[in-house]
Amino acid sequence: MRAGLALEAHGLVKSFDGNPAVRGIDLAVPEGAIYGILGPNGAGKTTTLRMLLGIIEPDSGHRSLLGHERPLEAAKIVGYLPEERGLYPAMSTREAIAFMGALRGLPLDTGRKRAEILLRENGLGDYVDKPIKSLSKGMAQTIQLFGTIVHKPKLVVLDEPFSGLDAINQGRLEHLIRDEAAAGTTVIFSTHVIHHAERLCERIAIIAGGRIRFEGPVSEARDRLRPQVRLRTRNADGPWRRALPGDAVEVDGHWQFELPKNGIEPMLKALIDGGAGIDELSIERRGLHDAFVAIAGESAAQAMEADLQADLGEAA
Amino acid sequence: MSLFEASWVIARRDFIAQVFSRSFILFLVAPMLLIGFSLFVGSAAGNAERNLNQPVVALVTDSGTAEALEAARIRLVGGTSEQSFPRFRTVAPAENVSVQAKALLADQNENYSAVLSGTLDRPVLTGPERIDDYTGKRVRLIVEEARRTAALEGARAAVRGEPVVRDVTANAAGNLQMLRRSMAQAGQGLIFTVTIMLATLLLSTLVEEKSNKVIEVLAAAVPLDAVFLGKLIAMLGISLVGLGLWVGILSVGYTFFQMLQDWMALPKVSPAVGWPVWIVLLLLYYTANFMLLGALFLGIGGQASNIREIQTISMPVTLLQLMVLLLAMTTVGQEGSALVWTAYLLPFSSPMAMVAYGAQYEALWPHLLALAWQALWVVLIIRLSARLFRTTVLKSTSGGAFFGFPRPRRKRADAA
Repeated sequence: MRAGLALEAHGLVKSFDGNPAVRGIDLAVPEGAIYGILGPNGAGKTTTLRMLLGIIEPDSGHRSLLGHERPLEAAKIVGYLPEERGLYPAMSTREAIAFMGALRGLPLDTGRKRAEILLRENGLGDYVDKPIKSLSKGMAQTIQLFGTIVHKPKLVVLDEPFSGLDAINQGRLEHLIRDEAAAGTTVIFSTHVIHHAERLCERIAIIAGGRIRFEGPVSEARDRLRPQVRLRTRNADGPWRRALPGDAVEVDGHWQFELPKNGIEPMLKALIDGGAGIDELSIERRGLHDAFVAIAGESAAQAMEADLQADLGEAA
Repeated sequence: MSLFEASWVIARRDFIAQVFSRSFILFLVAPMLLIGFSLFVGSAAGNAERNLNQPVVALVTDSGTAEALEAARIRLVGGTSEQSFPRFRTVAPAENVSVQAKALLADQNENYSAVLSGTLDRPVLTGPERIDDYTGKRVRLIVEEARRTAALEGARAAVRGEPVVRDVTANAAGNLQMLRRSMAQAGQGLIFTVTIMLATLLLSTLVEEKSNKVIEVLAAAVPLDAVFLGKLIAMLGISLVGLGLWVGILSVGYTFFQMLQDWMALPKVSPAVGWPVWIVLLLLYYTANFMLLGALFLGIGGQASNIREIQTISMPVTLLQLMVLLLAMTTVGQEGSALVWTAYLLPFSSPMAMVAYGAQYEALWPHLLALAWQALWVVLIIRLSARLFRTTVLKSTSGGAFFGFPRPRRKRADAA
């Protein structure tokens, strides 16, 4: 394993009943990073995470988790929030958090104390002795998240952590992820919601159809597309139209096109000279969504949008 | 965290969750109620059935003959039991006894099996052919006893001789073996009963984790072997709590009914290895039996995805346990046959067979071998179950190495 990496995977392949789910995944997650794995449902994100954590064995390929080739050997310093949340309904919130810590080697008494602190710090002090079954879904997810970090792991793996959460709990989770990263913990999370990755992550992997389509810094993904120019003119026609690039399209009274490779200045001069009468001109850096569409394809983006709508319905 | 530390975390959670649940009270109370109810109903129904099944013979004789026959019956019953001989009911003779006998046999209200008429010298037993084997033979015995008594009284003679003198010894080989066989069977019965009560619990215990999705959390944190072992330990603890409570309640009941003296008299006939060792062996073999069958049931139950599947599995599992008990029972009173050796060697029947061995034979070293053999199988079954669970339920290609020997670290060209 290379120095400075919390997690590394090479050529991970996994099929279920002959159907390939993951077709050769390479990942390298730097220590202390917030790392997003982005892709629609069925892209292979959960299977990848389960292989990385040793819950299932890959058909081929290998992985290393905090320097351990057997992931369970690193269990004490890893936290994992699975996509399908699981808690014992009759347990109190404090016991549930302490139990999850105990599974990772944290003494129960310490786990109970830390659980109380976590609950109080997050405004849930009144729920210390409440059984899980009496909590809302979002609150139970928050409790499980506390259980994931109660033993102060070096690496936290969150599978679709925002799924099913309302806006308040999503905000709380984002805050928590940033706090963990600030404390030096590496955070890996999978999501099908682009703006979470865009807001939180330094690096991302875009995964679709069981393959990594992009792996690197978010800025690099966005820079794969040239910035977008939006132009509004007073004159609808004139010699200035010849200055527009071939890919320019008119949408709602605005011209939109990619920033020319030689910059905006020559075009700007041609537009002025051609009598366009510029009302508005803006150059916008492309968002991660556009980058995702360009990298993973329109169908993957549509699938992500459908997942997001389903999520919103669930949270509501 | 070691395998045992991880198992302990799982076991503690399961134990507390089960013991402090409301259903645990039901688990504790249900067998007591069941046993009490069975004893009550069994006793009442048994008495009623014995009375119903005891043949009744109509005595259509003169009063002197009837008295002599009744007296002879009472003497015979005194030496055996009330149920050993048919009951007599005296009926005044009519003019035509032959016709009366047939009428009595046809009477649905009285339900006579036979009619005895005539005198002691010329008795006549009227009834169908099928009564000859049981009622007929016993009636003849009563008649002969009545005749012998009448003959002795006629001769004014009496049977001379002193009553039997009792010389009490501590043991008799035949009696001792019989009691030890009973102890062996009681030990087997106890182990079987408690294990069968927990079979469904064991089968369904992993369904809880699967249905509430906790299994993913567990599988990511600890080896599945630890999950299986922890659950087994928890269930064993739960069963021992139950067993302790039931034995405690029974002891209190015994004391309450002043039957303690009877109990104290029992140890005069001890199992071959002695009471203390046998009780320890009983506990050890109970643990081994529980862990063996428990590991198997846990493995089978882990494959089920819901309670309905568990219910479907329960019946074959119960049958399997019965088969194992029957096999183990062959060791009581037998030795050396292939079946007996199978019972000792087959891991699932071995604990119950060895409990019987301890009750009947004094050698201790076979127990050490047997316990080691059973422990080996517990480990094998847990490992196999965990791997099966990983491959079929968690859909992992490989369940992992069967024996977890340390693997050398992969050396990579780009390693730092």
